[in-house]
Amino acid sequence: MKVTLNWLREYVDFDFSAEELAHRLTMTGLEVDAMEKLGEGLDSVIVARLADVRPHPDADRLTVCTVETGRDTCQVVCGATNHKTGDLVALARVGTVLPGDFKIKKSKIRGQESQGMLCSASELGLAEEAAGILILPAGLPLGKPFFEASGLKDVLFELGLTPNRPDCLSAVGVAREVAAMSGQPLQLPDSGIKESDHEAGSRSSVVIEDADLCPRYAARLIEGVTIGPSPDWLVRRVEAVGMRSINNVVDVTNFVMMELGHPLHAFDFNRLREQRIVVRRAEQGEQFTTLDGQIRQLQADDLMICDGAGPVALAGIMGGLNSEVEEKTADILLESAYFNPTAIRRTSKRLGLHTESSHRFERGADVDMVPMALDRAAALIAELADGHVARGMLDEYPRTIPRRVIGLSVARCSQLLGIEIALAEVRELLGSIGLTGEVDNGDPGQLQITVPNYRPDLEREVDLIEEVARLYGYDQIPASMPSSRLACQRLPRHLALEQAVRDLMIGDGFAEVINYSFVAAEALDKLGLAADDPRRAHVPILNPLSEDQAVMRTTLVPGLLETAAGNLAYRNEDLALFELRPVFLPQTGEELPREALRLVALMSGRRDPEGWAQVSEACDFFDLKGCVEDLLNMLRVTEVRWQASTSDSFYHPGKSASLFAGETLLGTLGELHPGLNQVFDLSRRVILCDLDLEAAFRLTGEFPGFRPLSRFPDIARDSALLVEDEIPFRRVLDVLQRMQLKDLEDIVLFDVYRGEGVPAGKKSLAIRARYRSLERTLTDEMIQKQHDKLIKILEKELGAVLR
Amino acid sequence: MKQKLAEIEQTATEVARTLSSEAELQQEKARFLGRKGELTAIMKGMGRLSAEERPQVGALANQVKERIEALFGRRQEELRRQELDRRLSTEKIDVTLPGRRSRMGSKHPITKITEEIIDIFASLGFGVAEGPEVEKDFYNFEALNIPKDHPARDMQDTFYISDEVVLRTHTSPVQIRTMLQQPPPVRVIAPGTVYRRDSDLTHSPMFHQVEGFLVDRDITFGDLKGILTTFVDECFGKGTGVRFRPSFFPFTEPSAEVDIACVICGGSGCRVCKQSGWLEILGSGMIDPEVFKAVGYDPQVYSGFAFGMGLERIAMLKYGVNDLRLFFENDLRFLQQF
Repeated sequence: MKVTLNWLREYVDFDFSAEELAHRLTMTGLEVDAMEKLGEGLDSVIVARLADVRPHPDADRLTVCTVETGRDTCQVVCGATNHKTGDLVALARVGTVLPGDFKIKKSKIRGQESQGMLCSASELGLAEEAAGILILPAGLPLGKPFFEASGLKDVLFELGLTPNRPDCLSAVGVAREVAAMSGQPLQLPDSGIKESDHEAGSRSSVVIEDADLCPRYAARLIEGVTIGPSPDWLVRRVEAVGMRSINNVVDVTNFVMMELGHPLHAFDFNRLREQRIVVRRAEQGEQFTTLDGQIRQLQADDLMICDGAGPVALAGIMGGLNSEVEEKTADILLESAYFNPTAIRRTSKRLGLHTESSHRFERGADVDMVPMALDRAAALIAELADGHVARGMLDEYPRTIPRRVIGLSVARCSQLLGIEIALAEVRELLGSIGLTGEVDNGDPGQLQITVPNYRPDLEREVDLIEEVARLYGYDQIPASMPSSRLACQRLPRHLALEQAVRDLMIGDGFAEVINYSFVAAEALDKLGLAADDPRRAHVPILNPLSEDQAVMRTTLVPGLLETAAGNLAYRNEDLALFELRPVFLPQTGEELPREALRLVALMSGRRDPEGWAQVSEACDFFDLKGCVEDLLNMLRVTEVRWQASTSDSFYHPGKSASLFAGETLLGTLGELHPGLNQVFDLSRRVILCDLDLEAAFRLTGEFPGFRPLSRFPDIARDSALLVEDEIPFRRVLDVLQRMQLKDLEDIVLFDVYRGEGVPAGKKSLAIRARYRSLERTLTDEMIQKQHDKLIKILEKELGAVLR
Repeated sequence: MKQKLAEIEQTATEVARTLSSEAELQQEKARFLGRKGELTAIMKGMGRLSAEERPQVGALANQVKERIEALFGRRQEELRRQELDRRLSTEKIDVTLPGRRSRMGSKHPITKITEEIIDIFASLGFGVAEGPEVEKDFYNFEALNIPKDHPARDMQDTFYISDEVVLRTHTSPVQIRTMLQQPPPVRVIAPGTVYRRDSDLTHSPMFHQVEGFLVDRDITFGDLKGILTTFVDECFGKGTGVRFRPSFFPFTEPSAEVDIACVICGGSGCRVCKQSGWLEILGSGMIDPEVFKAVGYDPQVYSGFAFGMGLERIAMLKYGVNDLRLFFENDLRFLQQF
């Protein structure tokens, strides 16, 4: 919603500066989104006269003008076609900076010197677009700054209105608020309508068939009009608030809508069949062509304005092509009506047709403004188009909309706001915006407030309390701290665990990423998931922004691979990334999907940052496995089993694993299948894992309790064992676990070796066993016996040979 | 014999002075005090002395022994110190060489700001609640006093899953779910991911919010101002300018938009604050009686306030991030700064 300072001053006499007004409007709930000072810094745009206009000798579309400024003459090359010798124009002199940081310089255009620019309305910020340069009315003083001479120095405010304030979708509505804040009265415009002695009622009639959707419909007949351009003041005003000037009749309806907030529509009276109006619901499937030339399919709930034969307007939204005002139009039937907001909204939304008119009607117009807006516009049309307003207003008002009366307890008001406020002050504050209050007969602390129909948003006591707070000033209400009852509220367990997992990953050197929850339906094709993979069942979005964001993701893997590729493209080459977010899994029989928390992590490039003193080896499977092991340790998930290979084909078949806890699949980990590197544009080896955190959280154990420390020395034994290459280390551990050797503190595998000195098909496992007793100092002899037993069993069960 | 002892002491004193290494010192020390040393020899020859002389000379010999020991001890200390000084004056490293680093991880700025906000509100007695991101229309709109066909639905462009299921457009449905589950008093914040069908330089179709609400007896608009002013002080620094101005949300009445003094220009006006000196950071208000009715709270007995803020915006202002898209591009050069 746009309004200007000068326009507001026509209805209320205030002396706030532009800045102060902007601040006050914002603080009263009408947020000023932008403020533009028209003509500021443009004093070097002056009124000038075209002493001579001649064609450019070397360019067909240009003219060379001799321009008189009152003091001197200069030459300007101009590309417009609407000017001629003798016209007054707005000349931007050399050095002027026009809106949009457009600097006017002395130049030569195709060999002709140009000392300035002749401006169009849009170049001066007066209109969105313009055809040709401004031709000024005769009589303006030569050499004067243009904005000053034309009375155009003004300030444009752009208000970001909330949907509850349709009353402020007009200059008068905003002025009402300004009146309240300045303490000055609001002066409504006077239509000064004059009627001819032709009787409107004898030439036309209005019938409302569906009063539930149209409680009131009024019309006036204006005869003998001449359609033509609007006078300058009207063009300026309409364009200043962002509309296009069409002709004198349409401009008046738009102007009055912007002034009083009430949408109007002008019909070419002679194009109305039987010259009468019927307001009724559309017939299902009926077709109608709106002003914009579009054919609209109607439904039985759409409200139509019809003539004697059929629809002529989509009520409250847009007129029809068949009754549009044209150049030859002689008589106008002007409509001013009140429509049901929900009905207008439903039709406007279904047809995707949002207009200034529908915007106001769907938010709630003022039924009491119907006659005033009609008179104001009829009088202006008669004046500007040389017409005559026929006597009498056709005003059908079958469903009276009464003004609401709402009870307001002053005590309740004080209590909710946390202030002490007296009844008289409440009454005065509400009175300043036209809400009148009477003290309740039975209760001296209660006001009965009558709400004018321009405030459809005020329906309940609490709505009035908001008005009191607003007018009192939010800034005047003192801040306090609530005295609420105490309760212990710790972080829910799963959130605490989630934070712990995140902290661990960060501690392990991983950067957290966040990707969009929606992905392309094809994202899983890229990953090569089987056709029957459960992750292929996803939750689609009905109205996605793009095909790339069409379904809710069921796996975080593709997103992380794309993140990795993006980073490699930026030459961030050493990657350790993770994402901890839910995936969305449809559940049969449930309206909502299951949102399952997962952790994906990825590594690529060097294990440690590059440096003079560090080994910069490429990371591999075991780097990421180590992190996952840390994670499971931290969560105290025990009894986990790493099983070679996974069912996910996006892993390298020989370098991937599934992770189980009992029968529960906790996740997968492995090197990305080399075939997918190309698909995802990854130039380097990538290791990734995908874990089911919810399962992990379910299996999370408690702290098992303190284990006492031994005060006795340890004894370590190193042994190198030759085993078949095929035997996984897991089996060595299994054997050791089964043996439950006494005093064995821990076992470390400190080397795995293949190569010289080790026969082909074998590997050497170097194991350090550390023994320690809680009760005594162990001797070499005691240990040797244990250790020999250990080796013997490994020899027996795994065919291991001591090296 | 006494004289002999004096000579030995004399020689030892002179020798000690000339010693230049610890090894030499040990050797010389043995010459006097060792098993075959000169002093030992004298001690051994004491048997030949008379019974009267023996204690006298014995005492003297012991004194001399102690003095020589002390002498060599001092000299040994001196030599060790000299040796250490020599070592310390030659051993040297270039301390400006970079240290041996391990990889540093980083928290996503949205996580970082979420945790900080949770921390602030937890210290004010708020618990944390959560709700689903794919949400029923009822919780996202209807129960929040936003019926179908209401113009307020235009304020939030919605992604639909079906007629009755949406991607939540705000974290406010958690309010409803929480209040349906527990009677007052409630003091809860609800961080989470939300979605709106809007994508340009300043809008992301997915972003994050923190919702907060407090319901009890006698909660006032002044309390809302108190809690949120405290939040702004803690989050942006004490004394950050803050203002409350009227606004509209279907689920609060009165409603207030909260602005802070522009963190870029300090309030004098710049491009970020569109010359106004103020930045909008959160929406708030007293919970609408219609919402209380939807969850079965008695609006005559209870009152409360709710607020919601966009985390990307808070993070941008607090960390000075100038481009919303950076949060979801996941460029390591960005992520590692947090």
